[in-house]
Amino acid sequence: MKTKYLEIVWATLAALTLFAYLLGYLKIISTAFVALLLFTTFVKGQLVIDYFMGLKGVSWKYRMIPTIWLVVVLSLIGVAYYMPV
Amino acid sequence: MAVVQTPKEKYPPGDFAIWIIIYVELVTFALLFLGYAFSRRGDVALFNESQLMLNQTSGFINTLILVTSSYFVIKAVKAITSMSEESVQEANATASRWLLLAIGCGVAFGFIKSAEFYHIFSQGIGLSTNKFFMFYIMLTAFHFMHVMLGSFILFVIYKKTKNAGYSYGDYRGIETGASYWHMVDLLWIVLFPLIYIIR
Repeated sequence: MKTKYLEIVWATLAALTLFAYLLGYLKIISTAFVALLLFTTFVKGQLVIDYFMGLKGVSWKYRMIPTIWLVVVLSLIGVAYYMPV
Repeated sequence: MAVVQTPKEKYPPGDFAIWIIIYVELVTFALLFLGYAFSRRGDVALFNESQLMLNQTSGFINTLILVTSSYFVIKAVKAITSMSEESVQEANATASRWLLLAIGCGVAFGFIKSAEFYHIFSQGIGLSTNKFFMFYIMLTAFHFMHVMLGSFILFVIYKKTKNAGYSYGDYRGIETGASYWHMVDLLWIVLFPLIYIIR
């Protein structure tokens, strides 16, 4: 892996974190935005898993474990948020 | 022209035992995250009202600090794993500088989180105040302990790099510590929007 990708990964993580913060800080977080926020959280988590944890280059079964964890957790958070009370 | 593909490595970086610990930690935190998310359904108004008492800016700064520290750690790992037999001293010196920055991030996270806890506790808020604060304190304090442990692990690795302790082909130790640190980062990446933003 070329290290220049690490700078791009860091910048993406920082930008998506700023996006999440602005949603909350400007109080524009709404039902529709929660799905988008969960998706951007998935992107951030997957970037950490692939490039920082270094799982992009390993056998898929090891890479899949944290990815499945991330998908399940974020999906169930979404279910808890969107399911009618 | 024939395309040459690099074969994938079989195992994740670092000691295999750390990955067992990481998987166990991920499951433990998942239960707490989902406990929070589904408990919120029981009293959405209370959770939303209590969340307003949190400082989103400190949560945001701490997220930036953790992702930046992860970047510093992977730079340290790359310095060690890409060393040649002739560049052992230089690679260790480079890695130690990146690790020092990462440890600084861990300490900064600790200070900001401590200030946030002080602000909350000085208002008489505790575990028994309500369900939101029970989850908030449990999740963030538990995570805080992981940051402290991670910082200590990074410090131990830093000491080894200062002594040029990593040689050519010997980098399992730094990869193991780095994997733990990235897990701490991954957990906070889910925790931040869940506790501080979603309402």
